[in-house]
Amino acid sequence: MNWMLVSAQRLRGLLGKGARDRELSVELESHLQMHFEDNLRAGMSPEEARRNALIKLGGIEQTKESVRDRRGIPLLETLLRDLRFALRVLRKNPGFTFVVVFTLALSIGANTAIFSVLESQLWRPLPFPDSERLVDAHVVLRANPRQWDVLPSSVYRAWHEQSHSFANLGAYDYPTARNFTAAGTSERVEVMPVTSGLFDTLEVPLEHGRAFLREEDTTGRDRVAILSHALWQTRFASDATVVGKSVTIDGQPYTIVGIASPHLRFEYIREPAIYIPLLMDPAAKVLRNTYVIARLAPGVNSDRARVELDGLLQRQLQADGARQEDVASVTNLRETWTDFAARPLYFFAGAVLLVLLIACVNNAGLLLARGLARQREFALRATLGAGRAALIRQSLAESLLLSLVGGAAGTIIGIWGSRAFALFWSEDALPRTSATYLDVRVLLFVVGVSIASALLMGIVPALLSSRVDVSDALRKGTSGLSASPGQHKTRNTLVAVEVSLALVLLFGAGLFLSSFTRLEQAPRGFDAPGALTFQISLRGENYAKHEQQQRYFDSLAEQLRLLPGIREVTLGSGLPLTGSTGVFANVNVAGRPPKREHGTYVTIHAVTPNYFQALHMHLLAGRTFDPHDAPGSARVAILNRNAAAELLGREDPLGKVLEFVAQPRRGEPAEPSVQVVGLVENAQEFGPDEVPQEDLYVPFAQRPLPSAYTLITSDVPRGALVGAIRNVAYSVDKDQPLFDVKTMDDRIGESLRGARFNLILVACLAVVALALVSVGIFGTVAYFVERRTQEFGIRLALGATPARILRHAVSRTLIVGAAGLLFGVMASLILGRILRSALYLVPHEHTGMLYGVKIYDPISMSLACALLLAVLFLASLAPARRAMRVDPIVALRYE
Amino acid sequence: MGDKNDVWQGTLALMVLKTLEVLGPLHGYGIARRIEQTSGDLLSVNYGTLYPALLKLEQEGYIASEWGVSENNRRAKFYKLTRAGRQQVVREAREWEQTTAILAKFLAAPEESA
Repeated sequence: MNWMLVSAQRLRGLLGKGARDRELSVELESHLQMHFEDNLRAGMSPEEARRNALIKLGGIEQTKESVRDRRGIPLLETLLRDLRFALRVLRKNPGFTFVVVFTLALSIGANTAIFSVLESQLWRPLPFPDSERLVDAHVVLRANPRQWDVLPSSVYRAWHEQSHSFANLGAYDYPTARNFTAAGTSERVEVMPVTSGLFDTLEVPLEHGRAFLREEDTTGRDRVAILSHALWQTRFASDATVVGKSVTIDGQPYTIVGIASPHLRFEYIREPAIYIPLLMDPAAKVLRNTYVIARLAPGVNSDRARVELDGLLQRQLQADGARQEDVASVTNLRETWTDFAARPLYFFAGAVLLVLLIACVNNAGLLLARGLARQREFALRATLGAGRAALIRQSLAESLLLSLVGGAAGTIIGIWGSRAFALFWSEDALPRTSATYLDVRVLLFVVGVSIASALLMGIVPALLSSRVDVSDALRKGTSGLSASPGQHKTRNTLVAVEVSLALVLLFGAGLFLSSFTRLEQAPRGFDAPGALTFQISLRGENYAKHEQQQRYFDSLAEQLRLLPGIREVTLGSGLPLTGSTGVFANVNVAGRPPKREHGTYVTIHAVTPNYFQALHMHLLAGRTFDPHDAPGSARVAILNRNAAAELLGREDPLGKVLEFVAQPRRGEPAEPSVQVVGLVENAQEFGPDEVPQEDLYVPFAQRPLPSAYTLITSDVPRGALVGAIRNVAYSVDKDQPLFDVKTMDDRIGESLRGARFNLILVACLAVVALALVSVGIFGTVAYFVERRTQEFGIRLALGATPARILRHAVSRTLIVGAAGLLFGVMASLILGRILRSALYLVPHEHTGMLYGVKIYDPISMSLACALLLAVLFLASLAPARRAMRVDPIVALRYE
Repeated sequence: MGDKNDVWQGTLALMVLKTLEVLGPLHGYGIARRIEQTSGDLLSVNYGTLYPALLKLEQEGYIASEWGVSENNRRAKFYKLTRAGRQQVVREAREWEQTTAILAKFLAAPEESA
């Protein structure tokens, strides 16, 4: 419409200003003359005629001004003018400008860093076409929807064959490291089992060859593989003729049928090098570690899909005669994959936002003080015709300039900060491998936050300082001016708000500190100081059989024991704090009805007899393994306390027989039952804040595995020992490399790494908050003292002691501070209540951030209060001492 | 350019356009005088508000301006109606008549409830 024309005209009006102004002058001048002449003709005297014409025109300058406003874009012009003026003002006050810009840059930088991490880790769409239509379909316990349950394979088939909510549906297993041999060389690569439908569901077509066929998910027909683009490039030099050739995975021949697209990236899991068919054995009752991905059909939302899947699930469970303890759940794939990192990231976002708020409140205080000091200037401008709106606009322009400069500096800090964050946060805690980089959204965020901060810190000072009493201000000058009661109240409120915000952050830091000390002191269930550990995963054709694996590890241990200075050598399929490295199984107590539909989920650890002794694990009942627990003898097992409680409650576990639930899908025969001979204390598998694990230990000799950890205690220094161990290992078999060589102390350190990072980050933010508060208090008190130098002089002259003056100056701050503390305590408690479920570890969930502390933790709370009070006191002491040293003579002459 | 003048500005614009339609090209002073005379001196045009209104009409493309010489040999800026301006006079006049007709009905309606 014609607003475009008008805007274009007005934009043009911004240019060629001089010529237009001259033209307007001539036009108005001729107008006046015509009017003047008419008036003369009407019989007025020349003076009267001129006067009347001028009045009628309403003043030449005013008319020019309103025409000028109409001509260009007045808002833009005045904004530019205000900004230019603000720049001049701020350049003249480098100290003030530096403090404000610096604090803003820090806090906007921190916010930018966290925002770009949130953006790249949580919000950015997954690297699949139209990825927001992808969902994760799974089953959860009806009683606790936060806990996922295993998916019965009959239900998967029902979903796959009967549902109409999806355009496509596929499934995958987590990739595992397997031995891959081609053209004579072997290496360990990530192999991911996927169903035939997965590539179609993700809509990332293959580069060459074909996807898996429906019938290739059955035993016997499943020896086909698809190579990742990266593996195809590095191992086969991008040769398209490899399709149809044979490779070996874990000693089994597979035929290459396709090459995946270079664009197929998951970001969320270790990128697989090879895809193989996910076996759907009809005999398998449950799909363990299998995840279902589906693409919603057009017009279907996840709620409708969930309803349909739940109907199919319940019908299938009924048909199977199974307990209906599960319900279906359909969740956005991106959110599901990133969910575990969302809480800490949002928590950090909240913490840095708090710092930004404190900085804004702080700067509001500084701006207010400056506004007061500049009252004479404002008064002068008001007398020269600046309206209140113009004064407010000018003040806001100054805050805008400050925060834009702060935002620009903050962007640089933010880029650097987000990289540092991604680097220092433990890798496992970051859900995605996608890089954090600066994109449009981050830049928009910076601009938005800068403008918001400008308003936040600028609006109150601008409103207050624009309210000037012109005659009073001009007559008295700056020094005689006292702040109005409103300004005092506002300053006190700002200090109180700042203190309460800082308290929330300090209290939070206190909670993290006490949580961390608890994590450090939590019983680990083992003790092996200085022990060195490493992993060997046997590869190659020579180790396909259990006996071969057994023989290798036997001779390795034997050779290692011969090294000088060695005290203990022990083997286990997993060690404490190596994560879930065991084999998983579902077991039931023989002769009892199963506690859960598919048995109780346990982690199997195959260990050598001296394992418990070497790790100083506490035997609660029964015996540990001994050399008599050989392959041929009776199958035995030891339970950890968790497993015993889960399976048998308070009953004595010794002598009970455990049966394994068959898992033919793994291609292994059903395992023989075991008899429980011992009970040991729980040992941490991931770290102190882990979900409690149910562990089942079996003798390594009765259940050898191709992959095992070795733990060695010795008197030899670590450096020398590692070399010696490596020589021994290579002498047994030169083709088996050592992985994951670490001392147990390293592993303990790593298990606390995430918590330590959280603590450091929150502590840093708390320190920044404290620094901001002390600057704010210092400024406020210094200003208060300076304003009242004269008054203090009079008091001193009238006989007040310096100590009394000091007390007066300091106590005011402390009263205001105490009010802030009270408010902060309430805010912390309310926030703690709201965030309880997100912040605190919930049993059987891995999502909390605080371990073993109460939301009311009185120690953290009182420490935070005491620290803030101390800072308040110290920050107000220095300027208050100046009040004490006022020389009455000088003070009275101050004006 | 306060909001209070919006109605006034709107009617002023129509008066300016109508004046130019009737009298042809005219300078600012002439337009102002003509409006005052036509209203039977009931209206007093603050000439200061006239020039922003003229500029607005020019930006909207309803009038155009050029320098010329006035009746008593003075250099003055003359405003004239454009083609879009002529259409606008018709349109605005119709709208205005409608508004006044509706208002007149309201004012003429007998006071039923009183």
